Amino acid sequence: MIEWLTTTDHKKIGIMYVVSTLSFFVIAGVLAALIRAQLAVPGNTLLGPHAYNQVFTLHGTAMIFLVIAPFGIGLANYLVPLQIGAPDVAFPRLNATGLWLFVLGGITVFAGLATYGGAAATGWTAYAPINEFFVGTGAGQDLFFIGLLMTSISTILTSINLLVTVFLFRAPGMTMWRIPIFTWEIVATAVLIIMAFPSLAAAFAMALIERHLGGHFFDAAYGGNPILYQHLFWFFGHPEVYVLILPYFGIVTEIIATFSRKPVFGYVGMVIAAFAIAALSLGVWAHHMFTTGAVSNPFFSAVSFLIAVPTGVKFVNWIGTMWKGSIALQVPMLFAIGFLLNFLIGGITGVMIASPPIDYQAHDSYFIVQHFHYTIGGGSMFALFGALYFWFPKMFGVKLEEGIGRWVFALLFLGFNATFIPMGFMGMEGMARRVYTYPAVGHLPLLNAVASAGALIMTLGVALFFIDVLVSIRRRAPVEDDPWGGYSLEWMTTSPPPEFNFKTLPAIRSRRPAIDSRPGSV
Amino acid sequence: MRSFVGLFAFAAAFGAVIAVVYWFVAHEEAAGTALLAVMATGLAFAAAYAVVAERDARLEGDDPNETPQMAAGDDLGVFTTNSPWPVLIALCTLALFTGLLWSPLLGIAGLVGMILCFWRLGAESART
Ligand code: HEM
Ligand SMILES: [Cu+2]
Repeated sequence: MIEWLTTTDHKKIGIMYVVSTLSFFVIAGVLAALIRAQLAVPGNTLLGPHAYNQVFTLHGTAMIFLVIAPFGIGLANYLVPLQIGAPDVAFPRLNATGLWLFVLGGITVFAGLATYGGAAATGWTAYAPINEFFVGTGAGQDLFFIGLLMTSISTILTSINLLVTVFLFRAPGMTMWRIPIFTWEIVATAVLIIMAFPSLAAAFAMALIERHLGGHFFDAAYGGNPILYQHLFWFFGHPEVYVLILPYFGIVTEIIATFSRKPVFGYVGMVIAAFAIAALSLGVWAHHMFTTGAVSNPFFSAVSFLIAVPTGVKFVNWIGTMWKGSIALQVPMLFAIGFLLNFLIGGITGVMIASPPIDYQAHDSYFIVQHFHYTIGGGSMFALFGALYFWFPKMFGVKLEEGIGRWVFALLFLGFNATFIPMGFMGMEGMARRVYTYPAVGHLPLLNAVASAGALIMTLGVALFFIDVLVSIRRRAPVEDDPWGGYSLEWMTTSPPPEFNFKTLPAIRSRRPAIDSRPGSV
Repeated sequence: MRSFVGLFAFAAAFGAVIAVVYWFVAHEEAAGTALLAVMATGLAFAAAYAVVAERDARLEGDDPNETPQMAAGDDLGVFTTNSPWPVLIALCTLALFTGLLWSPLLGIAGLVGMILCFWRLGAESART
């Protein structure tokens, strides 16, 4: 216990990130189930309006800040030193500080539930002015800001740490142009975090000053401007959505290359695309503000369209990597393919709403809910499960059961699409997001019933995943150090790796050191 | 090091270009231009700092032909395995933030605790 509380070993810290993000994932998943239970039929009274506001706020906040983003960072903690042949990260104590700030920050956000007035109820965006009065007056809203400030600090510290590690602690011969794509994506993510998170911290700090010290940054009655909050929030918020996806691009790339038994197609293009996406994503924030009428819609629309280009490059590269490969459809690969299919829908709907005339129609409707769930849920979350199946043997020396894993994938894929395809149509029939109930008009009752049924199937899939973990750990089937025939450095050490990662460092002569070392290769 | 400088210089240039373009299309709106300009300046500073501070750094990882044997004996510094301070610093941060809002005493305790932790952490890292 004390050992884990005080550890500075990047592998243990990485594992604690994975465990804590999965715990938050379970809570956020229960909240999602509550949302779909409430919306299953029109006019439902399972949750009242204020309870419903808290539930969707905590669900979105947790999924974004406490699950998808920190899982990527946590996995990077575990993998980056192994992939570049370093004994640990550059600043191990800073790393541990980041972990604990994150865990405590997450608990702080949820602690709002125990306060009078309940948890934050403003949505994950906590717009001004609702973050000042009404629903936002309780201590729960303050705990939301404090908790997320802590996780922001944590994320910034960890990003600096990972950047320094990659730049300075690569093994002999591991030049920048030889590091695996996952590590490259983490470099891009870290740069993005360092650019974007200070803006969020500023917005939250200003909101706290308004609430407690009589500031009026966002209060029009005193010459403040609520649009300023939106600028600060989305200057962080859009880069954040790429913080939620770039690490998962990396995961998918590694999985596809490994299970297609081919080198990554267009490695250099892949890296350039990652940085192009990161750079462009810093110039599109106000596509979330088209309907305010206070921003330059043509500018933000044009830059948003541009992002589709490097994203398309990535798709070409993934398909090119699979092309004529000898593809093994094991569980991680299934999740990678699920990612490609789902994320494609998310990307296409993104380009649609990047056009202001369409966005005026779609804004704040269920169409938007469909868009971002296809990117974050169908994209990142599928890659997250792929990563768990792929690196579980490396982390714990135990392989997860393939047979159960296929069922997990099938349930999640079916359930996910059943839940979210109807939402696009709900949006087009005019259903607004964040409403706690709706009238029985048009197809809304049918569409919502299907979505809720889909959510039930997904819940079963997630439960089955945890059963898979338990079954596999009990069974403890012996596993080789490299069960998949991977190509990168982490597969050249034992599973799990020893303290300081490598007993002896292998010579690195190419982008695929593990392949070079295998008998029969040149 | 070259890769680091290149990356940051490139990003800074991109930020500057976007800031200028943004100014021309949306100059009635100052927040965005300010955010972009700050970003470009920050990145440029990081790149410039690296050039000055790490003038004669030489990294094994930058040489494609270097082998582990050639690098043997190089000092990477010491890596800790355990330290009590990180988790305590996180706890003190929480105390400081919540204290600031609701209880000056808790806030002061958090601040004092944090300073103590950083002091001991400094001592620890000077030793190992
Ligand atoms: C081709 C790339 C993309 C484009 C052009 C795009 C465009 C947009 C636009 C215009 C909106 C605002 C819609 C509105 O509120 O009226 C939006 C919302 C959103 N997008 Fe995307 N998007 C893209 C990719 C992504 C990705 C990769 C993610 C996450 C992994 C993502 C996550 C989100 C989220 C979370 C929101 C909703 C924010 C909120 O209001 O709560 N998007 N997107
Ligand atoms: Cu966006």
